[in-house]
Amino acid sequence: MIGTIASQQSLLLRRQHVALVGLITMLAVTAIAGVLGWSSHHTIVRVFDQAVRLQAAAGQPAPPNPFLLKPNLSLLSNMVVYIPLIGALLALVVGHLSMVDDQSKGMGRLLFTRQVTRTQYALGKVLAATRFLALTLVGCGVVSIVALLAVNRTLGSSDLGRLTGFYVLSWAYLAVFVLVGILTALLTRRRSLALLSAIGVWLVITFVVPQFTSGLRPTQSLNPLTEPAGTSQAFFRVTQHAQPLSIVEQYKTAAGNILGTSPTSPTTETVLTIVPTLIAGFGLLVLVLWRIQRHDYARSASDE
Amino acid sequence: MSEPVIELQGLQHRYDTDLVLRDVDLSIGEGEIFGFLGHNGAGKTTAMNILTTLLEPTGGTATICGYDVVTDRREVTRLIGYLPADVRMYGHMSAAENLEFLAKLSGVPDARAAARETLEYLGCADLAKRRVGTFSTGMRQRIGIAQAIVHRPHVLFLDEPTSGLDPMGVRQLRETVLQLNRDLGMTVFMNTHQLNEVSKVCTTIGVLNHGELIYNDSIEATMRRFPDEASLEDIYVRVGDLAS
Repeated sequence: MIGTIASQQSLLLRRQHVALVGLITMLAVTAIAGVLGWSSHHTIVRVFDQAVRLQAAAGQPAPPNPFLLKPNLSLLSNMVVYIPLIGALLALVVGHLSMVDDQSKGMGRLLFTRQVTRTQYALGKVLAATRFLALTLVGCGVVSIVALLAVNRTLGSSDLGRLTGFYVLSWAYLAVFVLVGILTALLTRRRSLALLSAIGVWLVITFVVPQFTSGLRPTQSLNPLTEPAGTSQAFFRVTQHAQPLSIVEQYKTAAGNILGTSPTSPTTETVLTIVPTLIAGFGLLVLVLWRIQRHDYARSASDE
Repeated sequence: MSEPVIELQGLQHRYDTDLVLRDVDLSIGEGEIFGFLGHNGAGKTTAMNILTTLLEPTGGTATICGYDVVTDRREVTRLIGYLPADVRMYGHMSAAENLEFLAKLSGVPDARAAARETLEYLGCADLAKRRVGTFSTGMRQRIGIAQAIVHRPHVLFLDEPTSGLDPMGVRQLRETVLQLNRDLGMTVFMNTHQLNEVSKVCTTIGVLNHGELIYNDSIEATMRRFPDEASLEDIYVRVGDLAS
């Protein structure tokens, strides 16, 4: 039954052209990340070559090529920003559509008077949406490999492993937003409100929570005193320990470690940064499965 | 009366403080076509939602072929087919694809063959490959009936099946219901306002008034009981008057 629901949802995503638009968008941003990486590489190497010629003419030793000091996958560092911004929005929409189409058509009355259970239905929808994201990210991976080969000429097995790790991490991160899209659709009655709520949650996760969990003291950027007089520091003392709650920051840290674009951290630390995303995903899945049991599927189709 | 297929005992349902079904006792026999009548908001759709396992009653019991609609949901859903009011299916998919999907969810082994046979049986094989989103109300209703019987249920629930149909569509639906009852032996439970249709199709009727079952008998017995009334509409009004 889960497979039947998932296949049906995948077919609908294809027919509604959501899959095509999402795939094109993600491939385009991956290509843009590659082009930006290639462009900066090309410009810097040209400047370096010119500097080498000038240094050689002056009889001085040439400095090392800066790109020899950078990891190969640093070319894709922009993807660490694109995934939480564009990828997460796409995941929200896919999760949202998985639920609201059936609700607005009153399909629950046809589905739940059959052998399928609500748990199977929800799992089928989640499977279809996450499978779609996986296929999209595989496409992004192929574009990334093409971009890396165009710039670096070679791609070692270690880089390929890191690239795979990055996209697996991105898939887990985006799955959280699929579940947010599904859950908001189950919690609200109107489809427009459901989408707005989902976007609200995305905004909070992506922009608001990182501000509160960064431990940064806004007054310190204006006045470099460690302890501004007369100001309570308790809030900042607490929030600087709350960084694990910001899954977007944890994702960026883990992705940076995997791609090698941030200062190298031990593997265990990288694994620990992934844990909050996994906990969030599991918690949301439990909430979806709990909520769908209580959802009123006896309601008729709405005209919204 | 033949062996009861649908049985309600003291059935109650409450939305917050509003009691919409009040101790409804009802028994419907094998092969009957039952017309459930009542004003808007009388509780007919709530009763149907309970019988089709979409809603749990807040009191009493309901069984289909002896299976409880709450505790034996899996068996009940195997036995029933349901055509809701205002049926909509996946508009981006063809009629055959919709039926095949719903047949799979009903556990039909060869869902594709079942979809094709059902469309042929209802004389709408020409609609098989067309997308449901392009269908008229009448076509949608025919595909709605097809999805309700694609797994050959024992009991068919129809909620306001003639609503929105033109006279030809109403006639076609009436003939389909009689055909299903005659050929496949389906017991039919129909919520409707169309008293003219009830008199032409149903073998028994029940009248629900503010959640209370105020009348239940066969059409023949009803006509005998109210010899002075010219039509079922007059009888319906009379029953309502007697109850109040």
